[in-house]
Amino acid sequence: MTSPRLPRVYLPLRQLQDRIATGLITAGGIGVLLAILAIGVFLAWETLPLLALGDTFALSKLSPLAWGTLKAAIAAMLFATPIALGAAIYSALFMSARLRSRLKPALELMEAVPGVVVGFIAGLVLAPWVERHLASTLLLIVWLPFSAILAGALWHLAAARLRRRLPHSWAGLWLIPWLVCMVAVALWLAPWLEHHLLGGDLRRLLDQQYGMDYATRNALIVGIAMGFAVIPSIYALAEDALADIPPTLMEGAQALGASRWQALWKVALPTAGPGIFSAVMIGAGRAVGETMIVLMASGNTALFSASPFEGLRSLSAAIAIELPEASPGGLTYHLLILAALSLFLFTFLVNTLAEVVRQRLRRRYHRLGGRP
Amino acid sequence: MKGNGLWLRKKYPLRLALLGTLFMVAQLAWGQPTTTAPSLPSGTLGAVGSDTMAGLVLRWGEALTARHPEISLQFQAGGSASAPTALIAGTTRLGPMSRPMSDSEHQQFVDRYGYPPLELRVARDALVVVVHRHNPLEALTRQQVDAIFSTGLTCGADHAIRRWEELLEAQLWPYGQIALHGRNLASGTHGLFQQQALCSGQFRVDISEHPGSSAVVAAVGESPNAIGYAGYNHLSPMVKALRLTDQQGRDVAPTESSIQRGEYPLSRDLYLYVNLPPGESLPAAEQAFIELITSAEGQQIIRASGFVPLPPSDPNAQQPW
Amino acid sequence: MKPLSEQSKRRVNWLNDGLWPWLCAACVALSLLMLAALLTLLATRGLGHFWPATLEEVTLTSGDIVIGQPVRETPLPLNAGMERLYFTGNRDINGANWRWIAVDDISAQTTPNDLIRLERTPWGDFIGRLVAVESDGQRLTGQAAWDYITTALAQPASQQGSSDLLLITADGHALRQPLSNVSHFQAPNAMSWGQKVTAWGQNVWRFLSEGPRAANTGGGVWPAIFGTVLMVILMSVIVTPFGVLAAIYLNEIAHQNRLTHLVRIGVRNLAGVPSIVYGVFGLGVFVYGIGGSIDNWFFSDELPSPTFGTGGLLWASLTLALLTLPVVIVATEEGLARIPDAQREGAVALGATRLEMLTRVVLPMATPAMLTGVILAVARAAGEVAPLMLVGVAKLAPQMPLDGEFPYLHLERKFMHLGYHLFDTAFHGEDVQAAIPLVYATALLLVLIVLVLNLTAIFLRHYLRRQRGNEC
Repeated sequence: MTSPRLPRVYLPLRQLQDRIATGLITAGGIGVLLAILAIGVFLAWETLPLLALGDTFALSKLSPLAWGTLKAAIAAMLFATPIALGAAIYSALFMSARLRSRLKPALELMEAVPGVVVGFIAGLVLAPWVERHLASTLLLIVWLPFSAILAGALWHLAAARLRRRLPHSWAGLWLIPWLVCMVAVALWLAPWLEHHLLGGDLRRLLDQQYGMDYATRNALIVGIAMGFAVIPSIYALAEDALADIPPTLMEGAQALGASRWQALWKVALPTAGPGIFSAVMIGAGRAVGETMIVLMASGNTALFSASPFEGLRSLSAAIAIELPEASPGGLTYHLLILAALSLFLFTFLVNTLAEVVRQRLRRRYHRLGGRP
Repeated sequence: MKGNGLWLRKKYPLRLALLGTLFMVAQLAWGQPTTTAPSLPSGTLGAVGSDTMAGLVLRWGEALTARHPEISLQFQAGGSASAPTALIAGTTRLGPMSRPMSDSEHQQFVDRYGYPPLELRVARDALVVVVHRHNPLEALTRQQVDAIFSTGLTCGADHAIRRWEELLEAQLWPYGQIALHGRNLASGTHGLFQQQALCSGQFRVDISEHPGSSAVVAAVGESPNAIGYAGYNHLSPMVKALRLTDQQGRDVAPTESSIQRGEYPLSRDLYLYVNLPPGESLPAAEQAFIELITSAEGQQIIRASGFVPLPPSDPNAQQPW
Repeated sequence: MKPLSEQSKRRVNWLNDGLWPWLCAACVALSLLMLAALLTLLATRGLGHFWPATLEEVTLTSGDIVIGQPVRETPLPLNAGMERLYFTGNRDINGANWRWIAVDDISAQTTPNDLIRLERTPWGDFIGRLVAVESDGQRLTGQAAWDYITTALAQPASQQGSSDLLLITADGHALRQPLSNVSHFQAPNAMSWGQKVTAWGQNVWRFLSEGPRAANTGGGVWPAIFGTVLMVILMSVIVTPFGVLAAIYLNEIAHQNRLTHLVRIGVRNLAGVPSIVYGVFGLGVFVYGIGGSIDNWFFSDELPSPTFGTGGLLWASLTLALLTLPVVIVATEEGLARIPDAQREGAVALGATRLEMLTRVVLPMATPAMLTGVILAVARAAGEVAPLMLVGVAKLAPQMPLDGEFPYLHLERKFMHLGYHLFDTAFHGEDVQAAIPLVYATALLLVLIVLVLNLTAIFLRHYLRRQRGNEC
């Protein structure tokens, strides 16, 4: 600690130092904040020249890309939201504390897997596999929830000793081998089903009956890959919101005779609703801006189509591959900057909304007497 | 608290920041751009140019270093358009390009130096139309290629081709709609295919635009209903390259010999432009590089990179530089 | 209303409380399963590539003989059975490195011990048999030839002398191969388990320590590792002081009013802005704006070819620093906010100025939080590729950005990056089939680096929380 016996003479110097340092920190801090805000200003400034060309031109060029971005994000959210929220509910309310303290870092690691790796696996491994096993993939989507319920039913029927051995609070872990078995069963079953129910080839059926085209790299693949990437961020925020519910609320509900599930459905979800909403919003923001996964897994087709089996092109992927070649000041350059600006504005608005909602929620918990 | 005080006296971040700033200043004060030809040590050779030829030029560089350990080649792959700029600016003497210099680029060079650049044709390349390796389709005419890939039918086909049944018998290849694969807008391959195969028409919108030729080949190799175009040097056994019908009505396969003779319709030349004043000889490093290219080893590297050497009868190939 | 019987009440309860949680539990299991599957896939494929693979000699029903390494099997179209892809090498002779063989066409399949595999330039791998070695007029066969090659390859290239390998392929094509072009020699079928493990270790080491060969189709990733690490170090050098400065300002100096609150929300949100947007900003402002001006002022004699006005190490580091700034600010602020006000008041009461209070009391206590923030920033930056594609990453940079030439650190040079190397070899390489094992290995390496960094951050945070728990 500072010696209290400093000679008086140094005091003005110390105070001067302090003033200077405070000034520097202030200047530095404000400078950094301004630099960050400069992003928005720069993007807006660089899009101004486009105004001279009129709105319709830019719109016609960018609207398929904007649609592709939305389509990819919707696909990813359809895949990620149920899984992430289910995982959050389970880990906040049912899971054993020890497993939970291990699980959260594990899912954080999932978030750390770089997009370029996920994109590579999705584009060069998953996409050809799904193309060859389309029926299996679709069957898996139905089969896995069913097999989870089956596991639950079997567990309820099982002997009490086994139930103690495999407690529900650890189900997140011991269900893994079960799911692996179930995936294997589905893969074994699918060709048989395809042969007997769908007349041999699902893709031909789609093509001939419904005129649906199938592209190798399509919205389904992007949805799975990008869903994988956004699950952890939705999970983390939703889990926080659920775990921070004042325990008195849940205890009160259960004391009044509600089952754990009823307490969750009637008390926890409405209370934590805003937090979950903001988690989903932040996930959507990530999905909209993710570049490498879409670039490598989407096929990069500028189409207006809602089919999950057709490709798409997103704003971010277009920026990544076209901008390095665009000459600065040219038309393409400004168009791509407009694309970047729209991504920026969209994610910024979505995140702000999520953040405001989350802060409200925090205040609400505070009022209810929970953890701050 | 004592331990923490110790941390502070070191002031790591501050020092590091200072160091960083110093490096910046050092850069500004003494930094030399690495491609400046005149200031280079005699052993370093600079080349700027085509992205397509990057693999070829870099392999030549590796072989050059193996021959003359004191010489090393640095190559900046900035696309063919970057070669004339660098040649005119004098930052390099070697400019590999996957197309000939345009008239305006040529004129700018002449305006700057008073003599034209030495143009060497070094190899041939081609664009191939590829399908899945088991696809029974063998050949396409230019009209068919256009009818498959474009919207405008500029080459004179009467209707667009959307399904495999229109090209093959349904029992042979029952894969329904044709899935199109190609390169992204910014690439030279995209432009060349549009100009040569589509008669400058517009691509269909549902084509998958891949960021690289090998991505096209990989995608086509994995899906039976696909067709795509890629550079000849990216061909792999995953796919089958189709024969194309030339103007005389013959089906020409993209083989080394047909590309070498220029019979294959979508072939092009690869160039190396050299800044060489008339009557002067090249500096030793450049001389060694060009000797390597013309040597048997250099020609073998062309084939090893997937390109096609020029025919021996080509006057350029035997010209004693 | 009739009261529910005990039985049906139980059933309702069973449905209510019994099954939904199982779906939720399955969600956790599924997430973990996907993560495990991804990591397993990367680990097996990435590490398996370096294992000396067994070579097969396959006799076809047509009588042809093919020697190669089986790579994978896929079903033939129209349910006509399976086909197998063999890596056969010998591109100079066959014109291709690969051959598809329908499984039904195979009549015999053996793994003789005398099959060899050579790595050579410029044609890539040779697979076949060794007949003899000719060295200075001497002709060696059998074990003597093998010993000669092993000793010759262990010596530096200059002392090898001129000797030729006489080789023969599966279909009887004879070939004379100068030893000077051979970089590696292997007879995988004859190797014992221990030898294979050693060879595997050597291959991994070569992958990590060598530069790419033959225009990225072979060799290692050392320049990419080096570029990634150097860029990340530069980035943390830039981001740490600025991030901490901004956090101190926001938390300790600025008045805590509505504006500060808004700014804080803004900073948090920037963490969610897509990285590609930062890339666009970096390209427009750093590269074209600032870099262009620097060129105009200091390097005008080099124009029109840009020095700083094109992507480079400096601009990439700056862009990523900006990208990770919110991460550092938020983490540091959290650390600062956790410090009880009593500590600050105590310091001020003892006569410390604000600077002294900050530097001697507050910052030391917030150090672990700052470190966590920096490590998280580094982890995020190491895995980020999209912005780098705009601001200076290169497919192949023969010159390292750090070398013995003054001023040693060349900030204007382009550099290689593991993530971009992965993207480039997977999508731009010449032979995608040959590149895929390398891509797996690169992906594994990148994931490992990022995971280790993240684990460090997680443990640090864990340690920090525990310490804080003790303090309170």
